[in-house]
Amino acid sequence: MSPAPILPPSLQLLALAVLVSFLAWVVRLLRTHRLSVRDSLAWLLTTLAAIAATAFPSLLVGVAQLVGIHVPSNAVFAAGLVYVAVNTLSLTISGSSTAAATRRLTQECALLRAEVARLSARVERRGPDEP
Amino acid sequence: MKALVVIPAYNEAAALPGLLAALRRDAPGVDACVVDDGSRDGTAEVAARAGVEVLRLAVNLGIGGAVQAGYLLARRRGADAAVQLDGDGQHDPAELEALLAPLRRGEADLVVGSRFLRGGGFRSSPGRRAGIRYLSWFLRLRCGVRVTDPTSGYRAAGRAAIELFADAYPSDYPEPESIALAHRAGLRVLEVAVTMRPRSHGASSIDLPRTLYYLARVSLALLFLPARSRPGRSVEVSP
Repeated sequence: MSPAPILPPSLQLLALAVLVSFLAWVVRLLRTHRLSVRDSLAWLLTTLAAIAATAFPSLLVGVAQLVGIHVPSNAVFAAGLVYVAVNTLSLTISGSSTAAATRRLTQECALLRAEVARLSARVERRGPDEP
Repeated sequence: MKALVVIPAYNEAAALPGLLAALRRDAPGVDACVVDDGSRDGTAEVAARAGVEVLRLAVNLGIGGAVQAGYLLARRRGADAAVQLDGDGQHDPAELEALLAPLRRGEADLVVGSRFLRGGGFRSSPGRRAGIRYLSWFLRLRCGVRVTDPTSGYRAAGRAAIELFADAYPSDYPEPESIALAHRAGLRVLEVAVTMRPRSHGASSIDLPRTLYYLARVSLALLFLPARSRPGRSVEVSP
């Protein structure tokens, strides 16, 4: 007699379906250039890890036992928190680099604007160009 | 010596004409540039009418980004010195020469105007003074640099400091951190005495929670100073 499965098969299938369609969504975003490879990396890796843990729950139980978590469901919650934290941090990182880029672009724009104003003032002093 | 006065201004249309007139009177022949940090009160137009150069930031970047735009202009113009002067009337243009003198003599790379080196003038509330004393102590502890007024935004940067700040300038609450960055880059930081005035218009937005938040943010920034910029990372390509 085999022991009762860790995860009811129906629940396992549902979770896998959700995760795989999520993965497919990320891949689709990547392929349509709505998500950059760099920004997708954290999502891809963490989602693949979640799929592995859902497909082979014994993996998660093993890890839980290794670190001394007695109730496997607590390991799931902990892993879920890490999943969210990793992706939030990677989001914040890309936000910071966007802010740095915006800053430099805004400054560059202001310098160019001043330069254009200077040049057009000079052109106007010289009078209109000959036809 | 070619000096450029950088005046960061956010909604300072009311204070600017007086300041720019004083600047023309007290420091004739010095180029000035107003950095309009996305104001909505016509700051840029007021400055342009007064005949100074205007850098208009399309997006409000905050004091750090605005001041850095001025350093970028100074670098592009090949200025020997860039002087930061607040647009709200706290800094007296008559003291510009005192800030520039050490640069002229080659005694310093960054000159900070301190309101605490001599008596008188606007010295801020006791709570804020305590905060400044703490920052000054923390800067000395962290970097070994002695500065009595690390929050002062009245300062003159020589060529080496212009070069440094054009590439790396903190974005929020930049004053104490930029001193640390300059000192760590091997620049000589010197203080000279200046007299500060209360703001000519508007209220300074500083209460106790904000002051504590400010101190925490600056302490954190000083604790984790950014990694030294890698050589060759930000190369200017434009002429």
